Amino acid sequence: MVSEPKDAIRITNLVKRFGDFTAIPGLSLAVPPGAFLVLVGPSGCGKSTLLRMLAGLDEPTGGEIAFMGQVVSSGAGGVVADPKKRNAGLVFQSYALWPHMTVAGNIGWPLKVAGWDKPAREARIDEVLALLGISTLRDRYPAEISGGQQQRVAIARTLAPKPAILLFDEPLSNLDAKLRIEMRSELMRIHRATGATSVYVTHDQVEAMTMATHVAVMNQGRVEQFGPPVGLLKHPATTFVATFLGTPPGNLLPARRQGDMLVHAGIPLAPAALAQGRDEVQLFYRAEQISTAKGTGRPVLRAEFSEAAPMAGRVMVTATVGPIRLSAIAEEQPDARPGDGIDLSLSGAPDAVFAMSGERIE
Amino acid sequence: MSMPEPAAPPRRRLLTARRLVPALMILIVGVLVLAPLLRILMATLTPSGLEAWGAILASPMSPNLWWRPLMNTLILGLGVSAGCLLLGGFTAWLVVMTDVPGRRILGVMHTLPFMIPSFAAALAWGTLFRNSRMGGSSGFFEANGFVIPDWLAWGVVPVLIVLIAHYYSLAYPIIAAALSSVGADLVEAAQMTGARRPRIFFGIVLPVVTPALVSAASLTLAGAVANFAAPALLGLPVRMQTLSTRLFGMIEIGQAERGFVLALLLIAVSGVFLFLSDRLVSGRRAFVTVTGKGGRTRRFPLGRWRWPLFAAGFGLAMLTTVVPVLVLVSSSLAPQTGALFSNWTLHFWLGEGGGQIAQGNAGIFRNPVLIGALVNTLKLGVVVALISMVLGLALAHTITRNKGTVLANVLSQLAFLPLLIPSIAFAAAYIALFGAPLGPLPSLYGTFTLLVIAAAAHNLPYAVQAGRSVLGQISTDLEESARLTGAGPLRRMWAIVFPLAIRGLLAGAILVFVKMVRDLSLVVLLFSATSPVLSMVAYRYAAEGFMQFANAITVLILVICLAASLIAQALQARVQKWKE
Repeated sequence: MVSEPKDAIRITNLVKRFGDFTAIPGLSLAVPPGAFLVLVGPSGCGKSTLLRMLAGLDEPTGGEIAFMGQVVSSGAGGVVADPKKRNAGLVFQSYALWPHMTVAGNIGWPLKVAGWDKPAREARIDEVLALLGISTLRDRYPAEISGGQQQRVAIARTLAPKPAILLFDEPLSNLDAKLRIEMRSELMRIHRATGATSVYVTHDQVEAMTMATHVAVMNQGRVEQFGPPVGLLKHPATTFVATFLGTPPGNLLPARRQGDMLVHAGIPLAPAALAQGRDEVQLFYRAEQISTAKGTGRPVLRAEFSEAAPMAGRVMVTATVGPIRLSAIAEEQPDARPGDGIDLSLSGAPDAVFAMSGERIE
Repeated sequence: MSMPEPAAPPRRRLLTARRLVPALMILIVGVLVLAPLLRILMATLTPSGLEAWGAILASPMSPNLWWRPLMNTLILGLGVSAGCLLLGGFTAWLVVMTDVPGRRILGVMHTLPFMIPSFAAALAWGTLFRNSRMGGSSGFFEANGFVIPDWLAWGVVPVLIVLIAHYYSLAYPIIAAALSSVGADLVEAAQMTGARRPRIFFGIVLPVVTPALVSAASLTLAGAVANFAAPALLGLPVRMQTLSTRLFGMIEIGQAERGFVLALLLIAVSGVFLFLSDRLVSGRRAFVTVTGKGGRTRRFPLGRWRWPLFAAGFGLAMLTTVVPVLVLVSSSLAPQTGALFSNWTLHFWLGEGGGQIAQGNAGIFRNPVLIGALVNTLKLGVVVALISMVLGLALAHTITRNKGTVLANVLSQLAFLPLLIPSIAFAAAYIALFGAPLGPLPSLYGTFTLLVIAAAAHNLPYAVQAGRSVLGQISTDLEESARLTGAGPLRRMWAIVFPLAIRGLLAGAILVFVKMVRDLSLVVLLFSATSPVLSMVAYRYAAEGFMQFANAITVLILVICLAASLIAQALQARVQKWKE
C-alpha cells in the first residue's frame, strides 16, 4: 500500500434502493480528515438517505462506505460495523432527546452504554455542557427547555463520546431565523474545537456556503458537483448547481444561434462561438450582471416587473420575460408597479454557457 | 359630576345572566353527582349506619362481609391489571413496533373485545366450562366427556380470565398510542450510542411509555374492582364474594346501611389506586406528550417469528371476540349445551311454550316480559343518551366560556367525578338519596325516572368530553364570520353550529346509548322486578340456570349495540358529506 493519507470518509459506488424505487443510483465521494462536508439539495434528493447509511441506520444495496480506510458498510455484506464501532455521532432534525431523562441523563446515557465510569461521565457531562454554554440546564427535563436549548443538548449528547465523525441531519431547520444564524457560528466553533470530520445535511444553500469546507450538491440521488463552496459558486458544473447556489439566484436564458450571434427572443446576446457548434444553449448571467440602468451597446430585454426587495444597500429586482423569472440588481428602487414593463440590460458576456441538457460547455 | 350612566342597567343584567347559567349548572351537577354521594355518607353516620360500620369492619362477621370480599376484589384487580398489561402490551408492541403481517386488521380486532359486555363473555365461559357441581345442565366440555375441575368452572380463575379478555382491549389502545409516540429518532439515537436491543428497550422505550402503562394499569384495575357481572355469574355460585357482589347482596336482602358502607369502601378502594397512579405519572415526569415530532416509527423485523406471532395475536383476538359471540349464538339455537352445533332450533327465540325443551317456557320473542324489557331498554338508552348529551353540551359550553375561573374548574371537576365511582356504588348512592321520600318528592326507588337520572349522571363525564370536543371543532371565528353577515343567533345555530356539531353529538349519544344498553352493574340495583331491562332479564335467567335464554337475550343486546354503531356511521356519512 502507498502511504498516502487516508480519507476520513470514502464512499464508493454506493447504491440504495427501496423496493422498485432507486434513491441513490451509484455515488462516490471522498472527504479528508477534519473536513466539514455539507450535503445540500432539494428535498427528496437522497441526502438524508446517504446520511442514514453513513450512520449505519440503513444498509446500502450496493457499493461501500469506509471510515479512515476501514470498510463500515458494504452492499454485499449489509452493515459491516454497527453504529458503535463506527465511532460516529448523529444529531437528529427532531433532536430525539429522550423525554424521561434530564439533560445530564441524556448526555450521560451514551457514555454509560460505552462503559465509562461515573466520575469520568460526570466530568465529561460538565465539559460538554460548558462547551455548549448550557451548564445551568443540567437537571432540567427536555420538555422544560426551549427549542434552541434542546438543540444544544442534542449536540452536547452527540459530542460527549468524542466521535471521530459527526453527522448532522438538518439540525437547524426547526429554529427561527435569528437562532439559526447564531447556531451556525456555534457549530463552526464546535467543529474547530473538536476537529471531528463532519457531514451536514441541509436544503438551505446559505448554510452550505457559510459552513462548509466541502460542498456536495445532490440532485435525484446523484452528486451534481463536489468541491469547496467558493469553487462551486464560481464555476458551477451544471445548470442545477448554477441556479441552486448563490443569493440571489443566478439567471438562465435559452438562446438560439442566428448567424454569428446567440439570440433570445429576437435580441442578440452573445457571439455564436460560445455555443461551440451547438444550435441551442442556455446562457448563465448572475444577478449582478443584470441591471435596470441603461448602458450603451448592451443587450436590453423588455421584462414585466414583479417585485423589488432592498438588499445590502442595493435593490434586488425580480421580473419575468415570458415564462422565465430573472433576478437583477439595481442601484435604486425602480419606479414601477407589478405588471409594468421594465428594461433589463445585460452586461457583456454571460458568466457561463450550458448545453440544453444542463452540463457546462464554456 | 352629573354624568349619566346609561350603560349600567344592561351591564348589570348581562352580569347576572352570565352568573346565572353557571350557577344553574353547578346546582344541576351538585344534585346529580354530589348530593347522592353526600347522602350515602350521611346515611352511614346515623346510629344504625354506625352500627353497620361496626358490623362490617369490626365484628365476628367482618371476615365474611369485608376482609374476604376485599381480598377477592384485590386479587381480581391486581390480577386483571397485570394480565391486561401483558396482553395489551404484547398486542400493542406487535401492532405498533414490529413488521407483523396484517397489522391494521390486528389493530382493529384488538379494540373489539371491550365492545362486548363482560357478562356476555362470562355467559360464554359458563356455556363452555360449567360443571355439574351447581346442578343444572353442564357445559359443552363436560357434556362431551371432559372433566372440568371446579377451579376452572367457577371462582377466581374464570373471573380473572373473563375480565382480562374484556379489559385488555381497554389497555391496548392506550399502550399502542404511547408506543407510536416513541419516534424512530428516539430509538435510532439510542442505536447510535451502540446500545443493544434489550438495552434500548429497557433504557428508552419502556421508560417513555411508563406513564401510559401506569394509566392503563389503573384503568383496568378500577374496571375489574368495580365489575359486577363476571363475579356475580361465575363467582357467586361458589360463594366467591367481591365488594360489588357483597354490596349488591346487602341491598337485595334489605341491609341498606351495610350496603352503603360497602359502597363507600368500594369507592375508597378504587379511589386509592386511581390516586396512586395519578401521583405516579403527574408532575415533572409526565413527559409522554413531549415528543410529537417523531412521525416515523421504527419497526423491528421479526424474521421467522412473523407468522407465529401473527397467529398468536390473531388467535387472541378470535378467542376474545368471535368465539364468545359464536358460543352465545349457537347456544341460543342448540337445545343441548353438549351439542352446540347440532339440532339447531329457533325454539329459544320464537318457540311456543308448553313443549319438552326449556321446561315449557316460550321463546324470548313470545315472552311479554321480554318484549317489555326490550322496549324499556331502548327507551332507557335513547332517553339517557339525549339527556346526557344536552347536559354535556351545556356543561361543556359553560366550562369553555368561563375558562380559568374557579367556577369552571369546580364544574369540570364535579362533572368528571362519576368516572371515579364504580357504577354499582353510584347506584347505591342513588338509592340512599332517592330511596325514601325526599321532602315533597315521593320515593323514586324502582322507577324508570330514578334510573334515567342516575344513568345520565353516571354518563356525565363522557357527555362533557363529547361536548368539549364538539365545541373544540367549532372555532369562534366560524360563528363570528356568520355573525358579520348579519345572521341572527338562531340562524347561526341552525346553519353553522348545528351542522358542525352534529357528528360529535351523534358519536357521543351513540356511545352513551350503547353503554346503557349493555350495562348491568348500574341497573341491577336500581330497577324493579316488574319492568326490567334486557341485561337484567339475561342475568336473572342465567342465575336460574336457563343458559339458552340468557344467551339469546345477550345476543339480542349485542345486535342492538352493533346496529346502533352502524346506524351512527351511516348517519355521520350522510350528515357531513364534505368529510370524505
